Amino acid sequence: MLLLLTKKALLSRPGSTLLLLFVVILGTAAATALAGIYGEISHKMALELRSYGANILVEPDSPDGSGHLLEEDLARIKTIFWKHNIKGFAPYLYGAATVTASGRSERAVLAGTWFAKPIDVPGEVRTVQGVRVIAPWWSLQGGYPAAADEAVVGAALARRLRTGPGGTVTALYQGREQQFKVVGVVTTGGYEEEQFFAPLPTVQGLLGMEGRISRVLVSALTVPMDAFGRTDPQTMSKADYEKWYCTAYVTAVAKNIEEALRGSRAKPVWQIASAEGALLTKLDLLMVLLTVMAVAASATAVSACAMASMARRNAEIALMKALGADSYQIALLLLGEIVLLSLLGGCAGYLLGQYLAELVSSRVFSSSLTSPAWLFSVAMVSAFLVALLGSLVPLRRALLIEPVRALKQE
Amino acid sequence: MEETQVIIRTEQLGRRYGAITALTSLDLVVEKGDWLTVMGHSGSGKSTLLNLLGGLDRPTEGTVQVAGQDLSGLSENELARFRREQIGIIFQQHHLIPYLTALENVMMAQYIHSVVDEVEARGALERVGMGHRLRNRPGELSGGEQQRVCIARAIINSPALLLADEPTGNLDGGATRMVLELLRELRAEEGFSIVLVTHNQEVAAWGDRTIQMDDGLVIRDDLVGGTPA
Repeated sequence: MLLLLTKKALLSRPGSTLLLLFVVILGTAAATALAGIYGEISHKMALELRSYGANILVEPDSPDGSGHLLEEDLARIKTIFWKHNIKGFAPYLYGAATVTASGRSERAVLAGTWFAKPIDVPGEVRTVQGVRVIAPWWSLQGGYPAAADEAVVGAALARRLRTGPGGTVTALYQGREQQFKVVGVVTTGGYEEEQFFAPLPTVQGLLGMEGRISRVLVSALTVPMDAFGRTDPQTMSKADYEKWYCTAYVTAVAKNIEEALRGSRAKPVWQIASAEGALLTKLDLLMVLLTVMAVAASATAVSACAMASMARRNAEIALMKALGADSYQIALLLLGEIVLLSLLGGCAGYLLGQYLAELVSSRVFSSSLTSPAWLFSVAMVSAFLVALLGSLVPLRRALLIEPVRALKQE
Repeated sequence: MEETQVIIRTEQLGRRYGAITALTSLDLVVEKGDWLTVMGHSGSGKSTLLNLLGGLDRPTEGTVQVAGQDLSGLSENELARFRREQIGIIFQQHHLIPYLTALENVMMAQYIHSVVDEVEARGALERVGMGHRLRNRPGELSGGEQQRVCIARAIINSPALLLADEPTGNLDGGATRMVLELLRELRAEEGFSIVLVTHNQEVAAWGDRTIQMDDGLVIRDDLVGGTPA
């Protein structure tokens, strides 16, 4: 009978019902679309932020960071627990050498690195690692080295040596000499402009440090740090440690890398990690606020529609009260309508919201969106919240109707 | 009179709305199974009395007992329960829900009371001569037919007291007589008491007893002594 009363009550005023349904659908669709693209936005933003520099620095585990790591261990980074979050890494071997070009000579930092090196790890997809991956923001005049004797010179150093693409630079280290062909000049606005970059094996040979590296810069996708993430893992219980280890905090990923590389110490590059975390946290907050605003706006609209609808139903409710319906029965009848509207509005809003999310994803991010299963729950909860919040005031008014007065006004 | 024989007992019952006194110090006792007619002009207090007896309003003075229950101390939900279990109401304007059929209107009263029984609801409509109009909506029924559906709805839960507020006020002579005959028959079968409010002297003659009200006071209390043939 409740279903019959609910159905007939809704069908008896198609205009109001359709308007209510429309508002519930809009609110649900907005919430669903925002929730749907939320993951996508966060992911894309995180990837975007990764292009602004590495967020983890791995050094030899000595008090002053001196000593060396082993190049042969680097592939292990792609085998760790958080391997899918590692977007790129680049090793560096530093040495102070005398560089000479165009008759000018000076002591400079010679940096051996990978520019774009394919890495094969058994059981894993082949990846390319190096500075081209972790520092796509480098502004390069010319190109990257393709041969062992090619190099990239920092812009400031190149100006002083009066060299550029096509030029030649000779590097001298403890009596060993290597001639490089300059293929590019790099501008970064940072310390890189003072350095001389050459392929890692060549620099290792020149410095006499085959198989060794000074440090590794890693670019990893991480989640914003919160109070739990900042807790010292050494003070954690076993359960908390597992939870921390299994959350992609920059500290947890760094710890994971540290375990993979012998004799290493990995630490977050805090200016990058913090800025990234703050930005992603603000983005999260913005998305939550937008979702809440969409639900609140829809609930307000539902409230206005429901009030108008309820005003036309005063006599019906008064009659039911006169016949003996108590507050619970009246509330149940009206809630029945809310649930029915929520179910219909939730399903329709889900489909519309999913379509909108896919539209935004393809137009803004140029990628297809796979809606997670939980999005349907978000849609139904949003629909119910919109309908319920919007009906609270009308429901309260309905419960306060005085049957005698309302029936007399009919 | 033994308390078990009394359906209504009011003592110094009064109702004021601000400065306006609608009912003053009414002492009234009605026996079970009686048909009491309340007469009076507009504003005399007869509808106020009906509302107080049905637990739709609360007295500002005195007490009102119906079917052994003192209504003064009941909460809103307890009053609602009292109405669905003890009271049947017939309105002048019928107040049927327009989008429900005759049968569904009666079943709605069952739903409010306890459980829905379509066979029983159908039986109630057949008893009031509406067995052929079960699937019609109120808009498709005449005034007399609507009032018969209203009576079926009022008796479906076997009330102890039937309150009728100008039940024939909108009906022509033929329909009025049909409704009153129906009430008389049903009262004989079911044994409920009736309090009927009317302006019409002829309608009043159908009851066992008539009280005349004016300005919130009972000014006359007559035993009619039978119903017209």
